[in-house]
Formats: sequence, C-alpha cells, structure tokens
Amino acid sequence: MTHRWGMAIDLDRCTGCEACVAACHAENNIPISTPEQAATGRTTHWIRIDRYYEGAFPDVKVKYMPVLCQQCDEAPCEPVCPTYATYHNPEGLNVQVYNRCVGTFYCANNCPYTVRYFNWFDPVWPEPMQLQHNPDVAVRMAGVMEKCSFCIQRIKRGKDEAATAGQPVADGDIQPACVQSCPAEAMVFGDLNDPESKVSRMAESSRSTRLLEELGTKPKVFYLERGR
Amino acid sequence: MYSSIKQPELLPYGKIREDLFRPLSGMTKTYFAAILIPLLVILFGAYAWMAQLRYGMGVTGLQRPVFWGFYIVDFVFWIGISHAGTLISAILRLTDAGWRKPITRAAEAITVFALMIGGMFPIIHLGRAWYFYWLMPYPNSRLLWPNFRSPLLWDLTAIVTYVTGSVIYLYLPLIPDMAQLAEHNAPWRRKLYRALSLGWTGSDTEWHALERAMKLMAGIILAVAVSVHTVVAWDFAMAIAPMWHSSIFGPYFVVGAIFSGLAALMIVLALIRKLMGLELYLTRHHFDNLAKLLLLMSVLWLYFTMAEHLTVWYGNDPNEMVVFGARTRARFAPLFWLMVSVNFVVPFVLLGIRRLRSIGTGVIASVGILLGMFLERYIIVVPTLSNTRLPAATSTFYTPSWVEVAVTVATFAGMIVLYLLFSKLFPIVAVWEFKPHPHEDDL
Amino acid sequence: MSATYLLSEFRDKDAVASAIDSLRAAGVSTADLDVFSEEPVEFRRGVLDRPSRMSLASVLGAIVFGAAATAFVWFAQYNYAVVTGGMPVFSFWGTGIITYEMTMLGAVLATFGYFLWESGLLRKGDATAPVPVVPPECICLRVRCVSGDAARPTVLLREAGAVSVEKKAPL
Repeated sequence: MTHRWGMAIDLDRCTGCEACVAACHAENNIPISTPEQAATGRTTHWIRIDRYYEGAFPDVKVKYMPVLCQQCDEAPCEPVCPTYATYHNPEGLNVQVYNRCVGTFYCANNCPYTVRYFNWFDPVWPEPMQLQHNPDVAVRMAGVMEKCSFCIQRIKRGKDEAATAGQPVADGDIQPACVQSCPAEAMVFGDLNDPESKVSRMAESSRSTRLLEELGTKPKVFYLERGR
Repeated sequence: MYSSIKQPELLPYGKIREDLFRPLSGMTKTYFAAILIPLLVILFGAYAWMAQLRYGMGVTGLQRPVFWGFYIVDFVFWIGISHAGTLISAILRLTDAGWRKPITRAAEAITVFALMIGGMFPIIHLGRAWYFYWLMPYPNSRLLWPNFRSPLLWDLTAIVTYVTGSVIYLYLPLIPDMAQLAEHNAPWRRKLYRALSLGWTGSDTEWHALERAMKLMAGIILAVAVSVHTVVAWDFAMAIAPMWHSSIFGPYFVVGAIFSGLAALMIVLALIRKLMGLELYLTRHHFDNLAKLLLLMSVLWLYFTMAEHLTVWYGNDPNEMVVFGARTRARFAPLFWLMVSVNFVVPFVLLGIRRLRSIGTGVIASVGILLGMFLERYIIVVPTLSNTRLPAATSTFYTPSWVEVAVTVATFAGMIVLYLLFSKLFPIVAVWEFKPHPHEDDL
Repeated sequence: MSATYLLSEFRDKDAVASAIDSLRAAGVSTADLDVFSEEPVEFRRGVLDRPSRMSLASVLGAIVFGAAATAFVWFAQYNYAVVTGGMPVFSFWGTGIITYEMTMLGAVLATFGYFLWESGLLRKGDATAPVPVVPPECICLRVRCVSGDAARPTVLLREAGAVSVEKKAPL
C-alpha cells in the first residue's frame, strides 16, 4: 500500500529549544542566517518556532509552535506554480523541484502558513561549515524557492533500505532530522495510511488539531494541545 | 487665417497633410535632448537589472513575506495604461464618435508601447529570469509542459493575444498613411514606408476590406482588453491571501486600467499638441470630452474601491481586518488617503468645476491620477503580503531598493523614447481618417 | 484578348456614383471597375457593393484556434499529468481563460489574414493594371474595357462629369 507521510507535534511537550531548527539546518544544507538578514526578513528556517505570548509580566505564558511545511493535501501553493516546480507526489508530499523553479514567488504568496523561503543570494557558509554539507541534499542557488520536504532524502533511504531487506517500512524507521533531534520527543513522523502507526493514533487523539484548517488546505501536520 | 476655423476637418486636405507630416522630418535640439536623457536613464535601469541578474533578487527590497513588490506594481500599472488605446479607439470607433479621429493613433501607440514595457516585468521580476521561457509550451527533453492551471500562464496567453491584437490594430490604419508617405524624401524612409504599406493603392476594394477589418478588430480588441486586465487581476484574486481573494478584483482592475489609461492619454495628447504644433487638430473640445470620461472613470473607481472596503469592514473577518487596518489606519494609511485624494478629490475639483477645467488642469489631474493608480497597485500588493495569516510571520519592512526604483523610472523613460521614435516615423494623427466621410449606407 | 484601361478623374463623389451607375447600365461589370481615393469613399447601397466574407473568416478562425488550443491544453495536461493542490488534471474552468484568449487570438489572426487577402494586397492579382496617381481632393475611376469597347465608356464618363479621361494600355 502506498504511504501517506504525516507528522504529529505535541505542543504540550515542546520546550522551544530549537534543536529541530538546528538539525534541519545541518541536514538540509540551509544557509546560516545573519543578524542583518534577520532584520530584513530574509532568514531561512525550514522549521521555525513561532512564539505566542499571553498575559503580562509576571504572569506571562508562552506558547511554542514549531511551524514547518504542512504538506497540505490540497496545497494552495501547487496549482499556481507555472512550471510545476511544486506538485503533489503519490505519497502525499508537497515536493519542491529546485531545478524547475524560475522564481515567480506565487507559491510563497499563496502559502497561508508562510513556510516557503527564497534564496535571495547564492548561499554562503562561513569556513569550514561548507564541509558539513549533506551529500544527499542539493545546495540551492539564488533565485530558487525552497521549503521543508519532510526530509524526503531520509524517506527515500528508509524505503530503499526496507526494500533491500525485503521488509515493509516499520513505524519509526524513518525520522526527519527535526523529529530525530527533539529532546522532548514532541515530534512524531510516520505513515498516516497505517492505522497502527504512532502518528495516526496521535492524529486521532482528542487533543489533535491542525493549523488554519478552515482554509481547506488539508494539512498533514497535527498539533496536539491540551484542552481541545 | 485658420485660427478662426472651429472644425479642423474642414481645412483643405493639403494643409492637413502638410501639418501632420511636418513633424516627421528634421530633428530639433529639444527632440535630441528629449531622447538622449531618457536613454541615459534606461541605461542606468539596465545596469540595475544586470546587478539583480548577477547577484540575485536580494538586491531588491523584497523579503519574506513580501515576495511581490515594485515590479509587480509596475507590471499591473503598465498593463493598465495600455487600456488607453483600447477604450478610445475601439469603443469610440464602434459608436462612431467623431471626436476620436485625431486621437486614435496616439492612443493605440500608447497601448502597444505600454504593453511592450509591461510585458517585460513578468521576466524582470523572476528569481531566475534567464529561464523565463520555461513558461512557454515547447517540446523539451524533460517531457514537461507548463502548468496551464496557473494564473501566470493565463497572463501569458492574455498578454500575447493583446499584444498581437494591438499591434495589428495599430498597423491597419497606418497602411494608407504609409502609402502616402512613400513619396518622402529620405530614401531609407521611402523603402520603409513602401514595404510597410504592402503596395496599397487606395482602391475601393482595399478601403472596404480595411474598414471591415477595423470594425471587427475594434470589437475583438475590446473583448481582449477586458479579459487581459481581468486575468492580471486574477493573479491576485486566485490567491487565498486576505483581501486579495475577492471577486471584485476583475472588474475593479479593468476600471482602474481604463482610468489610468485615459490619464496617460491626456498627458500624452497635451504634450504632442504643444510639441508638434497640433493646436488646430487637438482642440479644447477633445480635452473636454476626455476630461468628462476621466470624471466618469474616477467615480467608477471610487465606487469599486468603496464597495471592496465596505464589504471587508462589515464582514469583519479577522485576517482581512488586519490588512484593512494596515491600509486605512496604520502603516499604509498616508499612502491610502493620498491615493483617494489624487484619484477622486483632485480630479473632481479640477475637472468637475467647469471654470477650472482646461488642458493645463487636465494634465495636472492626470499626473495625479497616474500617481494615485500606482499607489493603488502598491496598496493592493504590499499590505496583504505584509500581514500574514500566522501573525508570527508578519513583517512591515518592505521598502523598494535602488534597483527597483531605477528599473521603474527606466520604464517611464522607455515609454518616452519609444513614443518619440514613433512620432518621427509615423504621423501621430491618422491623416486619412481625419476628413469626415458622410455615411450613405441606408439612403 | 487585350484589355485597355480608362483612368478618369472626378472632383465629386456623386459624379463618380452616377458614372458607375451608367457604366453598369451599359453592361460593365463591377469587377472591371475600381475607385481610387486618398480616403474611403462611401456610395449608397447598390452602386459598388463588394460582398465580403470577413466576419465569417473571423468567426471560423476564432473557433478553430480556440478549439485547437483547448485540445492542446487537454493533451499537455494529460501527457504529463501532475497533481497540484487537489485540482483535476484537466478542467475546462481551470484553463478556460486560455481557451478564451486563444479564441480571440484566432479571430485577430483570421481577420488580419483575411484582410490581406480580400484587399488584394497580398494577391498578385492584376499586376498589369495601371494604378492612377490620385491628385489631392480627387477621386479616380478606373474602367477595364475589352478593347474596341473603350469608346462608349469614355462618353459615359465624360457625361457623368469626369475632369479628365485617359486611355492607358496594360503595364
């Protein structure tokens, strides 16, 4: 049976430590952002921690929400790309094809979650960080749009290894870098087509919700929160 | 002797021809300067674009989440101005309004050049502009076709159709004039005109075919023009961004386009009237009629703007209200209210009060309207993108960089250069159309 | 059979109309008559009608081009079928604008092409016929007569009020 990859994030466990952000940078050859870029809104973090503050000091409550590409089943970013640089693959992933992107920016404008990032210049890494690149992931050039891919290179490797071993992909075998690195084990990744997988059970939990569901994008990242 | 003549069509044909062909020959110092300075501006704009191609889109002021900025504003602005020719030429031809006669060619020229300039922006704004041709369907080694579901592909087909139609619509009535010009002195001109006039002899078969073709083209080009700016509007309306996803955008942009096109036309006509000595042919009557049309479009524009904003305010959708507040009360408020003043208040005072209405005030109002329409496109593009649905991703930082400003200014210079070249090669008033032809179809 | 041409000059549109009427009454066909002018001259119906099929050509061109473009889009969408945002691979509404624009483009091209044909500009046509140089404010009428026949038309032209009548051999 085909897979349908999804993710569940337990917001009650998330501490906002940003280990996922760092891991994603390392895994996916994302350029390191400078303070000047942050000041001009040009940072690239495929997964970012959004912070929402409630109340006033000293009774402040902070909500941490890791926001990454929601891999929407009816993604608004897909139909507007004139060159099919982003489309939906049979396993439910919203794929970004760097080679095909001409940089019209329409997909980024249409994403309600603002999870698409653009390469404003050719990426530069301070020495010797460019030696740390992941050979499984392309380095993007200036003019190309990019976003979280659910670590499609790890999905592919997981499927290949399972096929070599003659076994089906087991739940938990494939973990994107962010899921793998979370110290609070707040993130879970798996096959939504498998009703026994951890992510399916979490998605059906009473605490489960999705971001901006009312827009009809059918996102595949489930956020678990107390009181839902 | 001729200043007392109220109707220039009654001038002897030889005088008309002499007046309208005279600007084609010779080059004054003013003309030379008028072409040289814009050329330098264009060079600087080209340099700016080269910097963008070399270093990346980072040289612009764009940033996440404002991924569309000045270039898209320019694109919509210039495509909007291209509706000048269509309205005047096509609608007035179809309704047989006589006052259109001296202004059709000037208007059609604006259309063609504005389209040429506006059509460059879908390429200029690309992150990897050298691959722009991937949007065109051609057999390739990747066996890929472009995504026809994307509004950007609709843009492509619409603009290609409109450019083709406008060029043909400009060319058709030029043929008889070029046949007459073929007796011009300079040999290179003679060759040019003879080639372009396709051996026109002025026989009645040719005239009938021409008039029929022009009637058909007028209707077709009108249908195309309405659809082109609707499609450009749908670049925004098809997106789900707050205050973009509105069904009013189609008609709103068409009205805005005709509005800005008329303003551009008034400015251009005033200029050529002064610079080419066409006071006899472009009379106060023409500017009066244009002013009335401009007033009508101003009211229509206000109506659409109000309708859009009232429904948003009354509906009180949280995401849309943030953008609404940004436009009318917060960061973009000064631009918004400036836009309303120059698009509605100033034209109404200067053109609505008959005592104040003149060619000079018409030009002032039109310059204001062009500024206002540029602001309108800016106010549509940037506040929506700045205020994202997820508040944590919101930004307010977009300001255009020198690159975007240079390219924008260069397009205005480009328009000037193209128009000046055109006016030296072809008579800006259609000579053969000028005389009244009484119609005897139904005697 | 060698034809000769009569080039006549008139100052007044009505004179041309009456000349044409009398020539046609004498048996000259409209195919042998050509009016040359620097601006379009309109006669009342029945004098020198030139039936045209340009509207038909325009409509046909529109339909053909629009249908072809839609068929191409249908083919291209299925040839490399890509799922985007849950939209159908081909939907008429999803690409309807392209159908519309290409229909209009077909109409434009057909109109222009047919104009070039119907006006005779691109047809080699009768390259031997002499073309009069039209003086300003004048209208020229060219009559093609099978030789021997030139006398009667000349008389009719002068009677109608021609300023000058010139007989010319084919080029």
